Amino acid sequence: MEHNREVEIDGNSNPIQISRLALDIGGSLIKLVYFSRNSGDDEDPPKDKVGVSSGVNGRLHFAMFETAKINDCLQFISANKLLLGGGFQHQENCTNGMSFIKAVNQEAFTYLNGSKEFVQINHNDLYPYLLVNIGSGVSMIKVDGDGKFERVSGTSVGGGTFWGLGKLLTKCQSFDELLELSHRGDNKAIDTLVGDIYGGMDYSKIGLSSTTIASSFGKATSHCKELEDYKPEDISWSLLRMISNNIGQISYLNALRFGLKRIFFGGFFIRSHSYTMDTIAVAVHFWSKGEAKAMFLRHEGFLGALGAFMSYERHSLDDLVVNQMMPLPVNASLGTDTNYDPLNGDINGTESIQCSVYRA
Amino acid sequence: MASLKEDPILGIDGITIKEEFGIGKPVIDKLRDDRLALETEGTVIKGESVIDKVREEGSGGQGERDMVPPTSNSIHRSGSRPQLDLSKAAIEGNFEERDPTILLPNQSDDISHLALDIGGSLIKLVYFSRHQDRPTNDKRKKTVKERLGISNGNRRSYPILGGRLHFVKFETSKINECLDFISSKQLHRGGMDSHSWHSDTSSNGNAVIKATGGGAYKYADLFKERLGVSLDKEDEMDCLVAGANFLLKAIRHEAFTHMEGQKEFVQIDQNDLFPYLLVNIGSGVSMIKVDGDGKFERVSGTNVGGGTYWGLGRLLNQCKSFDELLELSQKGDNRTIDMLVGDIYGGMDYNKIGLSASTIASSFGKTISEKKELTGYRPEDISLSLLRMISYNIGQISYLNALRFGLKRIFFGGFFIRGHAYTMDTISFAVHFWSKGEAQAMFLRHEGFLGALGAFMSYEKHGLDDLMVHQLVERFPMGAPYIGGKIHGPALGDLNEKISWMEKFVQKGTEITAPVPMASSGTTGLGGFEVPSSKGGTLRSDASALNVGVLHLVPTLEVFPQLADPKMYEPNTIDLADHSELEYWFTVLSDHLPDLVDKAVASEGGTDDSKRRGDAFARAFSAHLARLMEEPAAYGKLGLANLLELREECLREFQFVDAYRSIKHRENEASLAVLPDLLVELDSMTEETRLLTLIEGVLAANIFDWGSRACVELYHKGTIIEIYRMSRNKMQRPWRVDDFDAFKERMLGSGDKKPCPHKRALLFVDNSGADVILGMLPLARELLRHGTEVVLVANSLPALNDVTAMELPDIVAEAAKHCDILRRAAEAGGLLVDAMINTSDGSKENSSSVPLMVVENGCGSPCIDLRQVSSELAAAAKDADLIVLEGMGRALHTNFNARFKCDTLKLAMVKNQRLAEKLIKGNIYDCVCRYEPAS
Repeated sequence: MEHNREVEIDGNSNPIQISRLALDIGGSLIKLVYFSRNSGDDEDPPKDKVGVSSGVNGRLHFAMFETAKINDCLQFISANKLLLGGGFQHQENCTNGMSFIKAVNQEAFTYLNGSKEFVQINHNDLYPYLLVNIGSGVSMIKVDGDGKFERVSGTSVGGGTFWGLGKLLTKCQSFDELLELSHRGDNKAIDTLVGDIYGGMDYSKIGLSSTTIASSFGKATSHCKELEDYKPEDISWSLLRMISNNIGQISYLNALRFGLKRIFFGGFFIRSHSYTMDTIAVAVHFWSKGEAKAMFLRHEGFLGALGAFMSYERHSLDDLVVNQMMPLPVNASLGTDTNYDPLNGDINGTESIQCSVYRA
Repeated sequence: MASLKEDPILGIDGITIKEEFGIGKPVIDKLRDDRLALETEGTVIKGESVIDKVREEGSGGQGERDMVPPTSNSIHRSGSRPQLDLSKAAIEGNFEERDPTILLPNQSDDISHLALDIGGSLIKLVYFSRHQDRPTNDKRKKTVKERLGISNGNRRSYPILGGRLHFVKFETSKINECLDFISSKQLHRGGMDSHSWHSDTSSNGNAVIKATGGGAYKYADLFKERLGVSLDKEDEMDCLVAGANFLLKAIRHEAFTHMEGQKEFVQIDQNDLFPYLLVNIGSGVSMIKVDGDGKFERVSGTNVGGGTYWGLGRLLNQCKSFDELLELSQKGDNRTIDMLVGDIYGGMDYNKIGLSASTIASSFGKTISEKKELTGYRPEDISLSLLRMISYNIGQISYLNALRFGLKRIFFGGFFIRGHAYTMDTISFAVHFWSKGEAQAMFLRHEGFLGALGAFMSYEKHGLDDLMVHQLVERFPMGAPYIGGKIHGPALGDLNEKISWMEKFVQKGTEITAPVPMASSGTTGLGGFEVPSSKGGTLRSDASALNVGVLHLVPTLEVFPQLADPKMYEPNTIDLADHSELEYWFTVLSDHLPDLVDKAVASEGGTDDSKRRGDAFARAFSAHLARLMEEPAAYGKLGLANLLELREECLREFQFVDAYRSIKHRENEASLAVLPDLLVELDSMTEETRLLTLIEGVLAANIFDWGSRACVELYHKGTIIEIYRMSRNKMQRPWRVDDFDAFKERMLGSGDKKPCPHKRALLFVDNSGADVILGMLPLARELLRHGTEVVLVANSLPALNDVTAMELPDIVAEAAKHCDILRRAAEAGGLLVDAMINTSDGSKENSSSVPLMVVENGCGSPCIDLRQVSSELAAAAKDADLIVLEGMGRALHTNFNARFKCDTLKLAMVKNQRLAEKLIKGNIYDCVCRYEPAS
């Protein structure tokens, strides 16, 4: 099991026997969301807790498996006696899952230069936004309201590309291992930088600094070195930057195209991995010339599964979430601009695009 | 310079000026003037004493005043004697030497300009050579110019150079071959302009070549050492944009789309070019928004580019070269590597969002779940997945940027493309897919040369900026089909080397097979999703790459002013994009080839040398045909006219000046012999009968066509006059296309109403012999009789047995011996100035006749593209109100659908069954008499 996070839902009405399970079976990962009554397993104090003043008391659990290891997943399900939910439509589920962010305070945050800043979203000003779900591939979904959305774009260069290419190039056995490697990498060995072309100088005429990547993997074209001569760490880092940068760029261009104020990045690729978030944030910052910021979600990766889960009881939990979250005192205290970078401007500003990132 | 030794010789490539050109005092004075001009700008002239010395020597020479161009920048003056333009003359090299060379940057003849783009893998050269004009001092031309009021004056402050722009590539790793090439062609000698002269000569008088690309820095020392030239580095992006702008404005069908393996050339209106997005895919990708000449901005880019493909590909595949990697992709299947939508949704499409099962969901996504190592995957598959990933990504980001700035067109260029069909297809697919078909990716034929061309454009005073599209003619020299512009080894100097080169190719077993039936050239299937079919055993690995020819710059060419809609005009009636047409015409040309070679060899006396040249010609032309069969778009948009002209150019390249020379002569003689009888016969008729007989005669005489195989067979069966009479007797009206009555009404009126005669008629003549002498001349005579000025329009250069403008005056003079009408008109038109004819009649009486003139049409093809005609034809056409197009080449193959501002008569006999069926739903020997009143 890769991840197991829980959100506690405190309901105070009659306890219903719910052990609902929803799955999002993607190309690389299977994401599980299941609900258990409060009496369920309580190994750790829940990290993420959502208070709900009515309804059921219980916990939403988030779990993840590699699709390749689907047997582990099935074992897990049977061991925990989870009832398997019905089929799903992935995209719908993502946006359903997104509605959930209305419910969880401090769900969204920006990430730049290694520091996280939580962003409070005004519920009345949430739509339209761009939801970028980075799974194996990348889907870009324009969300106009509850149940109103459209897949406007996407790219095949996503998490699967990172992992797949990374596996071929570094012999890493898992996604996490590959990500871990990238921490210690240096892309100067592999990428052609602007400075490499212009003799260490910036190409200031067109505003490119000497450290800007001119060509990802451009240095690997040299005949002097073979694959073995490159450090896996460097390869991983170059790959990560290439893919994150690309996703950030295409997302920004699509948000611009539809005049969307916010971009939320999610999906398992993010994985609360600071470098991934950082590179996406940098890309958005770079291409928008600082006008837009990448935003991430705390429950990234589980949107699909969460949405599938939500589809069980659209009417109860949906309403529950929205209605019950609003009066929480914490809401009022955070509903200011204090979480915003001055650069980002007012959340209600019409010109800037605010990129939010969701993750769990 | 004081240390200069005695008696310096001013040498140009070893030729001493004094002996060869008879340098006169005025020239020297001019030299001095220029020196003064230079001095005032603070530049030290080191060769001062040389110039003074020459002046002393030259003062004794013949002082022809008019030898010196009146303006210092006059580049070209035609005349019987070679002219030297000594402005900006400079002593080159070490002045301690005994024989310093003088550079004459503004001298027009054989002076070259060179610019380079030195990239990581290829060096691209663009150089300009100006060759001496063929002699133009014939009297006909002079008279025509006087009559038509064509001025020699230039509207520009400096004239456009006529000459050729060459595009050549070398591999950067073989830079020495490139240096040898430059050195053997002396390209670096002329590579300077006034600007660089001022800034550099003060130090060492050394030449400067414009260069761009990373190698301009890296190899600067090497150029200095080997060629003694400095590289003047130009900004890459400036060059790219300048090159793209030039190409898009100056070359008619430069841009093309590439969808599912099919190229389609796009004609872009010069006035509607900007703004556009230029995407240059090098190691990385730059996206440049171009708003006009020199007005551009890099708006975006991506670091995932050609370097990424090559770099990742090399790490994954251990390929030795980019081309090898690209070639691998041809045989790849990305399904083993990429995770497709179908893989996720159990083989089904994800219809809801319009994704088909074969859409890539995640590039390289499938390798995650497989238990295989890198070595477990086929390099071909990896290469293809990589190529698609990167091409799609570039296409997508480009489209999003075009959308963002509201740009109508996206042009892709850069080394990543390399004319590679699959790369272009995937990029096109991405743009098409993301724009939902609203945007199209476009590519440029000269794609690899943007930078070099831009560097070339940065020279001052070449005048190319002002060039119009109609002044450029692209020709494909021998060898083009083999090498596609990439040069290995030294430059080919003379004809002999060219022939040897062709022979060597055959010996090496690289012989290009004769045209074979063409398979549909689909390199990719639907939407670029399918596996590209591999093309084995073709000439080169990049078979779909386009060939780049030599651009001939002919400043005297103009658009024919009588075209009703020049923008919409398309000369070719037959579109060779239709594969069956292409195949048919290729077969016709191949079958005709042996006969043509025989005639060509015979025309040169049948010597061993001419046989050898004939063989080389046959090989070279077959190679062209084979190449075009393989890739019909290889030479750009191809019409039948281009194909026929290619053959003539190929003949000329092997110095077959006029393959039909003797045949034409013989037929002219025979026809002239029977002309008097024909004229007597015509004169006995009523006006109405005569007009019909004349048109019948034109159609009947048009049967004499060596371009038609059916007619060649006829020739063996009878004499010219027999065939002519037989042919005329067969003329049963109505013809297949018969507007004769309308034409007759315009000529003769109906009832009592006499129409006003045409002021001037342009008669586009076709073949020599009976066609022009028994057909067109009598018609011309009839028009003259009506008081209409007649201009006979003939080819500038020979093509098949077509009569040329050089030959016509003699024919007319001969005919005029027997006919007063023709004689007086020819005299009035200045055709008989030198002719030995009986001038017993009073000359005053003669001058009252309307003139008969001859102009050249500016081309050497059996067809005519009226967008590019000679300036004298254009001038003559301005006052014309009747155009007669005669013969298959000019009235059917081309211009059949053309519309004109004035009355037009199109006359031809169809001597090809297929064309007859296709064009007029008729049969071979059917006739076309199409009359179209002024529109």
